[in-house]
Amino acid sequence: MIHATKIRVVLPAHLKTLAHVTGEVTLEISGEATQRAVLDALEARYPVLCGTVRDHVTKQRRPFVRFFACEQDLSHELPDSRLPEAVVLGTEPFLVVGAIAGG
Amino acid sequence: MGKRVPGSLGEVGASLPDLSNEEVLRYSRHLLLPEVALEGQQRIKASRVLCVGTGGLGSPLALYLAAAGVGTLGVIDFDTVDQTNLQRQIIHTTEDVGRAKVASASEKIHAINPNVSVRAFDAKLTSANALELFREFDIIADGTDNFATRYLVNDACVLTGKPNVYASVFRFEGQASVFATEQGPCYRCLYPEPPPPGAVPSCAEGGVLGVLPGLLGVIQATEVLKLILGAGETLIGRLLLIDALDMRFREVKLRKASACPICGTNRTIHELIDYEQFCGVRGEEKPVTAALPEIQPEELKSRLDAGEDVLILDVRELHEYQICNLHGRLIPIGELPQRLGELDPNREIVAHCKLGGRSAKAVEFLRSQGFRDVKNLAGGIMRWAEKVDPSMPRY
Repeated sequence: MIHATKIRVVLPAHLKTLAHVTGEVTLEISGEATQRAVLDALEARYPVLCGTVRDHVTKQRRPFVRFFACEQDLSHELPDSRLPEAVVLGTEPFLVVGAIAGG
Repeated sequence: MGKRVPGSLGEVGASLPDLSNEEVLRYSRHLLLPEVALEGQQRIKASRVLCVGTGGLGSPLALYLAAAGVGTLGVIDFDTVDQTNLQRQIIHTTEDVGRAKVASASEKIHAINPNVSVRAFDAKLTSANALELFREFDIIADGTDNFATRYLVNDACVLTGKPNVYASVFRFEGQASVFATEQGPCYRCLYPEPPPPGAVPSCAEGGVLGVLPGLLGVIQATEVLKLILGAGETLIGRLLLIDALDMRFREVKLRKASACPICGTNRTIHELIDYEQFCGVRGEEKPVTAALPEIQPEELKSRLDAGEDVLILDVRELHEYQICNLHGRLIPIGELPQRLGELDPNREIVAHCKLGGRSAKAVEFLRSQGFRDVKNLAGGIMRWAEKVDPSMPRY
């Protein structure tokens, strides 16, 4: 039996609006908990987010979006690297942070 | 005096100005702080800080820096005070509506502290004036409201070697950091490219809690003073993420990007560029994609009056629809892919939002799905309110 991991994800405000969610999103990942797995699960649950965090085709992170967890910048980690243990255990969220310009 | 922080202003030693008896009394609560004391207050008096923008962030920023005794306070803004500014831009009052923001701001700064020398620039910050202007100040505080000016401020700070005390807000969320010091990353290290036009709504489209820029502007003022004093630990290399709705403050570490085109190891940007072109002109009053078919409000009105069969598709949110509407079919843009079946692909559709940005995306999406006769209402419902129905509430 494959164990499912629950990952907490925090989205930026404009993506919460697009996805019609408030607060954190909890995603179930089966298999290795990686950035790619989380983002695949996010886009599967909320198809409207396809292309907003990652490029539609290349699946590369958009340059105006960053990933953080446990105070660390994970933006340049390989997509298949395992997420930090605290994120896998659900004690810390995976942060998707986007550029905003309001002032 | 506390430890001198990286990126802080250098020693100015003998050139520090004296404080008058009035100033000693005025700043007495600062003088009692060992981290400030007499020399720190003299440093504050000797400092020259430029606030770019006198809006939501710039209001508390300029007011607190003035109260703190910054000797020379620059304010640059080309805008005039608007009724919609008053919910958060606390340097301006109801009586200031219609006045130049820098005139209004200068007056309030003088009222708070007549010792401050205000340099007011009723102008737009551009690639042509930014470098010359920044060279006249020690610290730049970015309180602008659009991506093009944020990249301009960043690049001009890097090129002139000035710290960029940064904050931005949207809805209930804010970000703050200190960029463009030798030790830390710059704004481009964090976000090498801006979002495409329309991808991230502005506060005018998405809204902002009025208190939020107050919170972030005060953080900027705090960082400015710490840079002047060389005290404490600034936000260099750290990004503060604030969620006012949950009242959660998170801090993440930032690193200088070696590939950064302006502060990295192989720099490709050596002078200011055309930032409107770099960011794409943010079409708040125009559709995002000029090639998309659009219709002017006056034309739509006359066609509706003539009884023509046109479906008005409102892609805003319910709470916006409740403020004012054209009695159209409400399908928020985020629900459009799931609710396509509710629309007849053979019927003429005019999509609108508040200002035209979101509906342009909706038109583009509907056309990609085979809807042939879809148009964008130019300028959104706000232009309708301006051109067709002045009685309509504006927001």
